[in-house]
Amino acid sequence: MLVSSRRILGAVLGIAAVLSALPQSAQAPWSSGLAAAVRAPLSPAVSGLAWVRDRVRAPDDPYPNLPEELRAAREDRDRLRGELDAAQLRVGQLERELGELSGYRPGERAGWRPRLASVVERGGGRPAGLLGIDVGSAQGVSQGDPVVVGGNQLVGVVAAGGDASHSWVIPVDDRRAGRIDAVLHPSGSAGLAPAGARTGNAPGSTGPRPTVLVQLVPQGGRTLVGELETGPDGRAADVRPGDSVLLSDATWRPAAQGMRIGLVESVGALDSNPLRRRITVRMEADPARLGRVVVKVQDAAGEGGSR
Amino acid sequence: MRWWLFLIAFAVTMSLDAGLMPALAVGRTVPQLWPVLLAFVAMYASRESALGAAACIGVWLDATHPALGVGRIAPSAVPVFGPHVLACMAGAWAVLEARSWLYRRNVLTLAFATVACAAFSSLAFIAIAGIRAAYADPSPLWGAGSGAGAVGADLLAALLSAAVGLVPAWALQASVPYWSFAMAGPRFGNPVRIGRSGD
Repeated sequence: MLVSSRRILGAVLGIAAVLSALPQSAQAPWSSGLAAAVRAPLSPAVSGLAWVRDRVRAPDDPYPNLPEELRAAREDRDRLRGELDAAQLRVGQLERELGELSGYRPGERAGWRPRLASVVERGGGRPAGLLGIDVGSAQGVSQGDPVVVGGNQLVGVVAAGGDASHSWVIPVDDRRAGRIDAVLHPSGSAGLAPAGARTGNAPGSTGPRPTVLVQLVPQGGRTLVGELETGPDGRAADVRPGDSVLLSDATWRPAAQGMRIGLVESVGALDSNPLRRRITVRMEADPARLGRVVVKVQDAAGEGGSR
Repeated sequence: MRWWLFLIAFAVTMSLDAGLMPALAVGRTVPQLWPVLLAFVAMYASRESALGAAACIGVWLDATHPALGVGRIAPSAVPVFGPHVLACMAGAWAVLEARSWLYRRNVLTLAFATVACAAFSSLAFIAIAGIRAAYADPSPLWGAGSGAGAVGADLLAALLSAAVGLVPAWALQASVPYWSFAMAGPRFGNPVRIGRSGD
């Protein structure tokens, strides 16, 4: 019996060593199914404990200490603001395309519907950061669907590899998610009025501050960083702490365009390149402390966009 | 070792880890209870049973901690089986080697073994992930940041796990008579029967 158990253990060790050496592509065809089967027996208990977890330590509330009516009104406001930002980005894109006579593309309808989801796993262990949510392909969720809270605060994107009732979400601050193209909107404008009319401009400048394109690199810990180049006129872009940062990345789904990544936390000099400035963007939502999120599920009719 | 009892403890521990432990996080450090269970089993069970338990825990960790791969539309979450199995075995091995000079009746000993188990497991995992990162994974299995940073974060998590795990450790110590461990004789803990050689 002892010899037998040692042989079994040796075989397990050998299989584990071989599997550890295999590249992801060799495991991908079957590992998701096996992982789902391993997780399945404990899924009800994990979901129940996640509910207890949210009672023990309340998740971050995008609208803390507000009465229900005001909370609903603000959520509607932010959702509409997000849609307006997205529409403005789209209008800007169409204007540029028309300006370049690059052809005409038919306008797109919204192309998505909201699907509420609970965060059942998050944060702990390795690799940290991926969020497990309790909706999957059975609810229409597919890879690339953006995940938001509070109407227009972008949390992340649904990764491939989920199953019928479970999906993994990659937060936008995860370094492995790659670079993200974004636009900086002057604080308070939200596309509703010229920025200068509300916030005032830098001394000596006139008119609304223009939006600024930037490529962000996720850093983890709710932060992303980007570099601002000097404009053709030799002046640095006018970016200030508190400015909104909106996603404007062609590799993301249209439903994600215009969603707010976060706010500019700081703007500083870049030692390695004095002609550029470094900005730090902080996500408003903390992915590690979310209880419920909304997945913008792609309609069956489909919509454009890569991610 | 009574495997049915281990499976119950395993189910409870892993459910708590996945569902409840984030509520006890300090900053971004989340305590885990699986090192407590593994250290407990490795303190008392036979070598084969302890490493078998480590393999079970490792398979679960591999299933619940997918790596990020390159996807066609979005990055894909790909469970990679193997690294956590080996890492947990390394953690159990550390306790197996140390248990001969540990005074096991004290709950604090289990806390110490928990730290050792989690630390060795972390080092093994980072080593495996580092090798894999050279040829098999588009991004390291430990997630964002450097390997040294990941080890540091894991050591913090190990200390927090040991602190949070004192209560479960006490409960596990009290349950020693029911496990029918091979090594839980009068010298090591409560006066219980010595298990069979092939338990």
